[in-house]
Amino acid sequence: MLPPVSPLPLGEGPGVRANPPSTIITEYMTQNGTTLTHGIDFASLGRSEPILSLDNEDLCVEVKNLNLYYDNKQALRNINMQIPRRRVTAYIGPSGCGKSTLLRCFNRMNDLVDSVQIKGQILLDGNDIFDPAVNVAELRRRVGMVFQKPNPFPKSVYENVAYGFRLQGINSRRILDEVVEKSLKGAALWDEVKDRLHDNALGLSGGQQQRLVIARAIAIEPEVLLLDEPASALDPISTLKIEELINELKAEYTIVIVTHNMQQAARVSDYTAFMYLGELIEFGDTATLFTNPTKKQTEDYITGRYG
Amino acid sequence: MNTTPISSILSDPALIRRRKWRMLKDKLTKYGMTVGGISIIIAILLIFFYLLYVVFPIFLPAHLEKVRSFKILAPTAGETVYLATEEKSEVGVRFTRQGHAVQFKLDGSQIIADNTLAPVGTTVTSFAVADPATGVVAFGLNDGRAIVVKQKYEITYGGENNVREIKSRLDYPLGEAPLVIDEKGQALLTLDLQLGENSNTFVAVTKDNRLLVSTITKETSFLDDSVSLTRTQGELSLQQAKITHLLLEKEQRVLYAADKDGQVWYISLQDKTAPQILQRVHVVQTFQERITALEFLTGDISLLVGDSSGRITQWFLVRDNNNNNLLTKIREFHDQQSPIVAIAAEERRKGFIAADSSGQVGIYHTTAQRTLLVKPVTEASVAISQLGLAPRADTLLVEDVAGNLHIWAIQNEHPEVSWSTLWNKVWYENYAKPEYLWQSSAATNDFEPKFSLMPLAFGTLKAAFYAMLIAVPIAVFGAIYTAYFMAPSIRRLVKPTIEIMAALPTVILGFLAGLWLAPMLENNLLAMVILFILLPTGVLLFAYVWQWLPKTIRYRVPPGWEAALLMPVVLGLIWWSSLLKEPLETWLFQGDIRHWLTHDLGIRFDQRNALVVGVAMGLAVIPNIFSIAEDAVFSVPKHLTIGSLALGATSWQTMTRVVILTASPGIFSAVMIGMGRAVGETMIVLMATGNTPVMDWNIFEGLRTLAANIAVEMPESEVNGTHFRILFLSALVLFIFTFFFNTLSEVIRQRLRKKYSSL
Repeated sequence: MLPPVSPLPLGEGPGVRANPPSTIITEYMTQNGTTLTHGIDFASLGRSEPILSLDNEDLCVEVKNLNLYYDNKQALRNINMQIPRRRVTAYIGPSGCGKSTLLRCFNRMNDLVDSVQIKGQILLDGNDIFDPAVNVAELRRRVGMVFQKPNPFPKSVYENVAYGFRLQGINSRRILDEVVEKSLKGAALWDEVKDRLHDNALGLSGGQQQRLVIARAIAIEPEVLLLDEPASALDPISTLKIEELINELKAEYTIVIVTHNMQQAARVSDYTAFMYLGELIEFGDTATLFTNPTKKQTEDYITGRYG
Repeated sequence: MNTTPISSILSDPALIRRRKWRMLKDKLTKYGMTVGGISIIIAILLIFFYLLYVVFPIFLPAHLEKVRSFKILAPTAGETVYLATEEKSEVGVRFTRQGHAVQFKLDGSQIIADNTLAPVGTTVTSFAVADPATGVVAFGLNDGRAIVVKQKYEITYGGENNVREIKSRLDYPLGEAPLVIDEKGQALLTLDLQLGENSNTFVAVTKDNRLLVSTITKETSFLDDSVSLTRTQGELSLQQAKITHLLLEKEQRVLYAADKDGQVWYISLQDKTAPQILQRVHVVQTFQERITALEFLTGDISLLVGDSSGRITQWFLVRDNNNNNLLTKIREFHDQQSPIVAIAAEERRKGFIAADSSGQVGIYHTTAQRTLLVKPVTEASVAISQLGLAPRADTLLVEDVAGNLHIWAIQNEHPEVSWSTLWNKVWYENYAKPEYLWQSSAATNDFEPKFSLMPLAFGTLKAAFYAMLIAVPIAVFGAIYTAYFMAPSIRRLVKPTIEIMAALPTVILGFLAGLWLAPMLENNLLAMVILFILLPTGVLLFAYVWQWLPKTIRYRVPPGWEAALLMPVVLGLIWWSSLLKEPLETWLFQGDIRHWLTHDLGIRFDQRNALVVGVAMGLAVIPNIFSIAEDAVFSVPKHLTIGSLALGATSWQTMTRVVILTASPGIFSAVMIGMGRAVGETMIVLMATGNTPVMDWNIFEGLRTLAANIAVEMPESEVNGTHFRILFLSALVLFIFTFFFNTLSEVIRQRLRKKYSSL
């Protein structure tokens, strides 16, 4: 028997290291490559849902032949995939594989980067979001986003949450009070900040800030919520809270999450996509992808061959 | 036990040496930095203290130091009526009631001469001094005649050691024979005179109480150079009035008389044959008080009235609303308590010295409203009888009633400056009311310098204000646009270009502003005004029209390049406003807007005005403000803007709600640094403002700033003179100004920065 191996090669965020090692299969492929291959003991995650299938899902976002170039460097290669409504879809893959880039395409955040060229289509409810006639601000209201690093504005907690509403021209105190409370409760932050709503948001802890940012994002009731490694800068307890939150939110929102942490993907997502070097290698329901990947690259990744 | 040291490449002696050297470098840098930082602070403090050191003497009081005392020489010559000395304070002269002029060495060692001036058989009944600077005095005689004498001093260098020697003599400018003043031959009880180029005027009160004005004109025959005197006379009956003092001003047009009842009479001599009393005014406060001394301040405009309560008041003619000149009380000094017996005015400054009957003298300055010193100068408070002041106001001769002459050295370098002259309204001679004025020098000695720093401080702030009015919107909005909206490829071009503008020598900007922009603006004033209205509206209109254009055209412009589209719009608007100017000017303003401004609105228009400075200096500070503000906006953390955009904010909303808020410390300090630059800027304001120290917010009028004033006047001011020190004081004020602005901006910036520190 080999001694238990720490999952270091799997990811780089602190959350990875903090996860209980019990979910990691400690056996690695032998020289002849015959041993069992999945990296995660799925049963230990306590998931009981039936196997999901994209065919039964209501599609929310559809990516068609998406190619993305930074200057002359191609970052995304011919991506085709569908994201189902009210499910959690996770992207995994090593650094630089293009998963964050793809995520940013969904609300056209890549527009802000110079010298980006996008070819192909992303359909949100059947409409191409790259159509020049699309109101980008409206698109981003419908497709909310939470970033890796918490980025509250230098304003009060209250104003941070009310920000999206104020942008829409809603300044009624009554409505805002209601929205702020609802959103903060939705982000499981209400109890912690209800007495300091008018303090500067920068005074909150990192985990609180991240939940505040989620509250801010869900306040404007987006259809899709994009989470770009939302827990990678947080401690294990905060991470756990965020994951619980994702589980609650999926009842109402279509959630797309990028993570380095495969355990996290396995824990929170319904569908998982594995990307490698700008290509979508494999996409399917999470249980299948982690237990029975069809591609060798996927298997190598989830068993820790590279990362 | 033997431990072998771990052999490693890292413990190589060369590397250890290198590590030591690294530590040493670290230490050296640390101390070097500390020394550098502290020496900067020291250098600034040194500048500050040097300025203070130069400025300090102007606030010092005067000093009197006793040189010597001695019994008056030739006491038999009679009681002194007038004491005088010359430039070098070596020779003094004492005119006496017996009509003698006793010249003596001021060291008390010898009498140089004792001349009897009054002709035999006459007695002296009055004495008068024309203008102390000319040295002309006159004795009035009991037979209605007067004798005029002029003191002359010649400095020669002779002998073996080239010793300075002062020779004094007495001249008779109107001839040695006494002049007939009163044809009736009455004794002249009070007398005054002024000698001019051609005409000489005598005023006298005779024993039968008539006021005489006689004018003696000297004519030189062109045939044989013989001098003939023609004489006219005017007369005024005084009835019961008892005139004690007469004062004729040197233009010989106005006569002041003081009577026993404490009144001063203002008498016009416009027509010398018919003197006219225009005003009689009570100059003392109670009926018990009397006028005890009456003198002119140098320049013969202000009257100094000393009274029996020790008060000295200054009066001069002020034109009232009905265009009448009225003798008006300007200010008073009441630092002496005994009756004033004599007043000696300084010849070259608006200062004077007053002596009272308790043996005290006071040194005063009128413009500064300053009592520099009050000090007893006789032994045991013996009353003073006569006072003589050297032309340079550095030696004081005091004669007391006990017949002692006291000689005092005066140290009084800068009496002209006080807090009130610098910062308050001051009532200057010939002005209708107190005003803030800066007029530091003129060609004559009797000029009253006007050292109010208010117009300069005002001009500094006005220039900075108009410059900021133009620079702040352009620079800040430009910076926000460049940092936040502009396509990066243009930004890479725009930012360094504007920053290079900061390197443009201000002398060139000033030169362009003064010689090209000012006349151009003057000729195209209306076009400029039209442009100010047309430019913002036109740009907004274009933006509005743009969004309705077909998409095929709109999508051809990449985002961030919209500004380039505005170039032809702006040029077109400029061209259009220049076209509009002519017809509009003809139609609305009778063909000349400047004329219309001045005559219909009463707004003065100078070619070099605040608008020109605003534009030119605005241009000079734009790069500074732009550069810092642009950096501030650009360095707003990207995660904040992205966070805002991801919430569905438009670029504009993100900018107004997040970017500007977060960049506000930087933008604020950019504006303050621009302000500091505008306050201290010299060359542009020097060349483009006209340097007129007026206090008016009118944008079409000129101004003078503290900095430009120093540049203009420093080369011509006398080193260590009052003017020189006041220029240093204005440098100090400027220093404090900029120090204040910088400190304020730094404090506010620190507070803002603290608020956003955790970003």
